[in-house]
Amino acid sequence: MGDNGDGALFCDQQPEPTPGSRSRKGLRPPLSPARRGVSPEPVLVGVLALVWVLFSIKSPVFRTPQNYLDIATLIAEPGLVALAMTLIIITGGIDLSVGSIVALSAVTLGLAWQSQLFSIWSAVAAGVLVGVLSGTLNGGLIVFFRIPPLIVTLATMAIFRGMAMGTSHGLAVSQYDPAFYTLGQGCYSIAGLKVPFQAVVLAGAAVVSFVFLSRTRWGRYLYAIGMNETASRYAALPVDRVKLCVYALSGLMSGLASAVFVSRVATAKADAGLYMELDAITACVLGGVSIYGGRGSIPGTLLGLLIVGSLRRGLDLSRVVASTQSIYIGAVLILAVFAHQVLVPALQNRALRPSLRRGDAES
Amino acid sequence: MMKHRTVLFVALAALMSATFILAVSGCPKTQEKADQTTAGPTPPAGPTAAKAAGSPDGKITIAMVPKLIGIDFFNACEKGAKEAAAELGPEVELIYDGPNESKVERQIEMINSFVDQGVDVVAVAANDPDAISGCLKRAADAGVIPITWDSDASPEASGRRFFINQATPESIGYALMDELARQAGEDASYAIISGTPTAANQNIWMEYMEKRRVEKYPKMTALTTEFPGEDQAAAMEAAQGLLKRYPDIKGILGITSVSFPGAVEAVVNAGKQKDVSVVGLATPNPMKEWIHNGDIKSVVLWNPVDLGYLTIYACVAAKKGELEKGATSFKAGRLGEVKVDGDQVILGDPLIFTKDNIDQYDF
Repeated sequence: MGDNGDGALFCDQQPEPTPGSRSRKGLRPPLSPARRGVSPEPVLVGVLALVWVLFSIKSPVFRTPQNYLDIATLIAEPGLVALAMTLIIITGGIDLSVGSIVALSAVTLGLAWQSQLFSIWSAVAAGVLVGVLSGTLNGGLIVFFRIPPLIVTLATMAIFRGMAMGTSHGLAVSQYDPAFYTLGQGCYSIAGLKVPFQAVVLAGAAVVSFVFLSRTRWGRYLYAIGMNETASRYAALPVDRVKLCVYALSGLMSGLASAVFVSRVATAKADAGLYMELDAITACVLGGVSIYGGRGSIPGTLLGLLIVGSLRRGLDLSRVVASTQSIYIGAVLILAVFAHQVLVPALQNRALRPSLRRGDAES
Repeated sequence: MMKHRTVLFVALAALMSATFILAVSGCPKTQEKADQTTAGPTPPAGPTAAKAAGSPDGKITIAMVPKLIGIDFFNACEKGAKEAAAELGPEVELIYDGPNESKVERQIEMINSFVDQGVDVVAVAANDPDAISGCLKRAADAGVIPITWDSDASPEASGRRFFINQATPESIGYALMDELARQAGEDASYAIISGTPTAANQNIWMEYMEKRRVEKYPKMTALTTEFPGEDQAAAMEAAQGLLKRYPDIKGILGITSVSFPGAVEAVVNAGKQKDVSVVGLATPNPMKEWIHNGDIKSVVLWNPVDLGYLTIYACVAAKKGELEKGATSFKAGRLGEVKVDGDQVILGDPLIFTKDNIDQYDF
């Protein structure tokens, strides 16, 4: 029994049985539960429901409908970044520079507005454009010079933050056109509830990302590249073009996140987005995106975001001091990932060993 | 197969529930402990949920938010605040919590959550005067009294009731410049190491320092100003850079509680404490050894314990209607009658610690 269990774990660490047969099958999203371990979303829904129930019992503020909408303002900025991060991690990459791109975009927006040469919306566009260019630079270095993404984005993380500090001299720009504040502070009144504007932005971006990832050919390419990049190249997939685009997209999302951020806090400063890469990666990993590539989904990442955001809000309302909060959030991350990446596959492999073989025979 | 999976999810949900119940049942303990220490002789209040409904029992709940937690200066403020809360007895409940890093967006989130919980007074040491204003306005609209201490918000935009000022910026700026001129000579060239460029305090002190230099010490030369952030290691690097770039520099002014010790460390490591006088603001404990070794001659500061103490008295007086705009003084416990100037409550003149008096202070 013990040997059996170890064997199951070992099998799970090598989730790559036959890459050759996959390209023949025409690149279906390789997420069939029997082959890939259980999908994490049901587990995460359970965790989220639990967080909500427990905090609703503890705090009368938490159980108001408005509270759930307010959580969206907490997760919108890391959320936009995490959507693009999901795509990148699925290709087997990583983008550590997102927080610094947020800073550089924010500073661009601020300085453009301060120069009085730009209207507020063209200043926003300039900020987003700088984000796209920064992301494209990352992608270019990764694709054309074949430098590992971890190293490229570690370097650009320092470079972009330095550029943001340097161009702004660390100074903050405040006092924007009031119309700009709708982006991060405005809300729609629906049925007596205030739906924050950024919740709508995040929802829109999530739907687009979801459709892209699960319903388009390029979305499937991402999984293929993450599963086996060499095989994908032999299968004549546009690997380089896809990778360049996802890093550019990450820059775009960081630019958008920075516009929401600047609008929300009404100030643009070079320390914007500090540690946002960690928040985004946390949401992805919690949401079941495999850091080794080839596995993950947009709903998973959204659930990861919601869990972290709800925890933070709930702990705030329970008056748990900030330092203790980090400990809870870290512990939940480890437990949730342990549950859906180790525990469930191990149990499942043990329970489903015979049917696993049958599943193989069927396909 | 579906059955097996269902069983797994149930098992998992059970596991996660256990974890969460453990985690959350830990929360009230944290809370009770905080209550005991903050409210002194008060018995620990009931569950958080009951308090969040507001304060129908005439209890005054004060949320005091420092720029960040875990540094000597704000620990000393917390000590004074707790002392005041204990003196004022069970009618005052103090919640003291702030961000782990000096980030304004986290302060905004925390204040919003305190306001939602129905506290009576929010007292904040603003990390950014413009960015914090929106949420203070929101607090005021919700019937919470906004007060600032240590670092002000924009008075008009935030609608804050009072600013608890440690000392007039004029007296601090002048004291710093006088100390520098006394130690480094009235013809010295010097550089300033500040914190973040948006910190309102440091900026206004620098204005008065410059004014003093122009009026009283025209032969002194200001070389440059560095902004390494609220980070001692970064301040030390900045000071090392200054020593390299300006070999004949005579003085360094470290004007935050971390940039001063950082600068002293750099000068002592370089063995230049005889040539370069380091003057600045800091809490006495970390500076004691250097003072006794003769590496530095003085430390300029106000008494942060008294600042925290005064803030709580001012919050309570403002809530009770005893401290209104236009008052010229009010009574604050052991501090006696404290001067009120317009919408500012002023603690007093700066305190200069030397080797003769520094051992009387422990914070």
